[in-house]
Amino acid sequence: MSEKGITDKSELIKLRSAGDLRITMDGYFARLKEAAETGSRKIAWCTSVGPAELLYSMGFEVYFPENHGAMLGAGKNADKYIPTAVAHGYSPDICSYLTSDIGAFLQNETPLQKSGFSSVPKPDILVYNTNQCREVEDWFSFYARHFNVPIVGIHTPLSISDLGSEIVRSVSDQYHRIIPEIEKVAGRKFDIDKFRETVGLSHEGCVLWKQVLQKARHIPSPVNFFDSAIHMGPIVVMRGTQHAVNYYRILLAELDERIENGVSAVPVERFRIYWEGMPLWYRLSNLARLFARLDTCIVASTYCNSWVFDDLDPADPFESSALAYSKLFIVRSDAVKESILEQLMQEFTVHGIIYHESKTCARNSNNRFGLQTRLFKTTGIPYLEINGDLNDPRCYSEEQSIIAIETFIQQLSGKATV
Amino acid sequence: MYRLGIDLGSSYTKGVLVDEENRMKAFHCLKSGYNFNNTSEKIIRHFSENFEIGFPVFTCGYGREQIQAEHVPNSELIALSRAVYEMYKRSCSIIDIGGQDTKFIRVNALGQVDKFKMNRKCAAGTGSFLEEIAFRLDVTPAEFTELVKEATREVKINSFCTVFAISEIIGMIKNGATLPNIILGIYNSIILRSVEMSVPEDHLVITGGLPAMHPTIVSLFKKRYADTDSPEHSQFLAAYGCVLLNNDKR
Repeated sequence: MSEKGITDKSELIKLRSAGDLRITMDGYFARLKEAAETGSRKIAWCTSVGPAELLYSMGFEVYFPENHGAMLGAGKNADKYIPTAVAHGYSPDICSYLTSDIGAFLQNETPLQKSGFSSVPKPDILVYNTNQCREVEDWFSFYARHFNVPIVGIHTPLSISDLGSEIVRSVSDQYHRIIPEIEKVAGRKFDIDKFRETVGLSHEGCVLWKQVLQKARHIPSPVNFFDSAIHMGPIVVMRGTQHAVNYYRILLAELDERIENGVSAVPVERFRIYWEGMPLWYRLSNLARLFARLDTCIVASTYCNSWVFDDLDPADPFESSALAYSKLFIVRSDAVKESILEQLMQEFTVHGIIYHESKTCARNSNNRFGLQTRLFKTTGIPYLEINGDLNDPRCYSEEQSIIAIETFIQQLSGKATV
Repeated sequence: MYRLGIDLGSSYTKGVLVDEENRMKAFHCLKSGYNFNNTSEKIIRHFSENFEIGFPVFTCGYGREQIQAEHVPNSELIALSRAVYEMYKRSCSIIDIGGQDTKFIRVNALGQVDKFKMNRKCAAGTGSFLEEIAFRLDVTPAEFTELVKEATREVKINSFCTVFAISEIIGMIKNGATLPNIILGIYNSIILRSVEMSVPEDHLVITGGLPAMHPTIVSLFKKRYADTDSPEHSQFLAAYGCVLLNNDKR
């Protein structure tokens, strides 16, 4: 798209599918609310990269506290709740999803109240996977104690280099081991055919999501990180359902249409950036406008790519689930992470990479052990590090970060343009 | 006709007048206060009394957009790099210590910024750190420069946090540490905070208000890296670079 006729470059170009996204997410929350109010279905709480397929296949409505944490952050309310959790003994240095979520719970407040919920839906069981971090176990344990309900989990090894059969078997065995407890709560027997069907739907949704993200390989990109961070909602909370599949077909069609009509995610795309680390939920739209004003599109991110579980296979649902959820970027060694990043940066033709060092999320801050300097040596792609946090705005210095980002783009302008 | 560069920093606003030959002609520095526009107007008026100034003026720093006079905003890091390159015409590393920020910049042989880093969200190791400690010790920052000459050995300040550093210093005083030795420790603490940002390569240029007002800091850098320099008027270089950048565009 040419600059001609553009009056405000920082104006965000919204995806038309946002309306369908709203309907899809509203449907999800309506089902949860109905289950919470009537008891028609059991409710399981699950970590965002936990065994959602298993739970959906056993008839649960599935609620994701991390999604709730992100809602608190995006609503700019996290800093209102974090001090309450801290006062109850949770350090301000641990996951701010956890502290804002528990703080909000202790204050009996939730953004879901706007959708008619009296509180977050009470769990019948809590299920986690430590593949993303150990803190989820502590987080869920708080609620297990509070509600006096069962908690089961899968413990995935960390920093995986060689993802061999031993690890896959160990994780797969853990899937099998948690089933009896889930059956007790569900009041029904595990059904392998239902599990296969759910894994199949999850695979289909993940492949569609991957295709959505890969549309950003096009120059100019029809979608950016700030869109994807919002439109990833269904793949996070409805993975394994037809709802997610249906939604991503709609989104994919719109992105194809954008490419056909030459519509880009930002009014002018001169620079293409990779985002490494968590979003700053409380500054998402500010950053979207800043990058648009700087003719820059964030075309790819580790965060959004983390929900591409395309190894899921209904023919072998246990082993493929174990493989897919252990192959996740966050659970890999730095050497593997470096090669994944190198490949993605090449695939998306990026000019630079921004590392967001998130104060309360060590596992999603990959610039703490020299990865950024090693990757610069091998790729020559310039990088910028900014300090902030996923949810806690007190850890972010906005003016300083704006200066750094503007300078970084100017730095690139001397070296690369599309 | 002179061109005016203004660096509207968190603590001080620095104005520099540049002549047709791209030479820095006159300097004026004021506390930024809370109203960047008022401060920049004072700077403009100050120069206008004796010189004919061309508009727009060229700005950088936190208040670069908070000015009503016709202006062109710039990145202070790019502007500073441009000014330093103008002076040295070679690749170098820059460490700039200002009121709230410490910056490390690597400039390549073509004068381009290869990489840069700013301090984390913490003002320890910056001008504010030193000013706060001086205030708590009831000594002016200017007195620091004299007192440090009497230092006999460094007292190590370990705390990263300004407030805790003050507690640490009070503890040292109780244990008999002398003020000059403590000041030397404060200076070294500032240096340690800045060198941890990145590894300086070949020529190191020290700039910013803090080293300009505390020359011992530059001497201590020189002890660490022999090939170190700090040009005169180094706190005005970002403002100077703003004007040079505009010349480059013409």
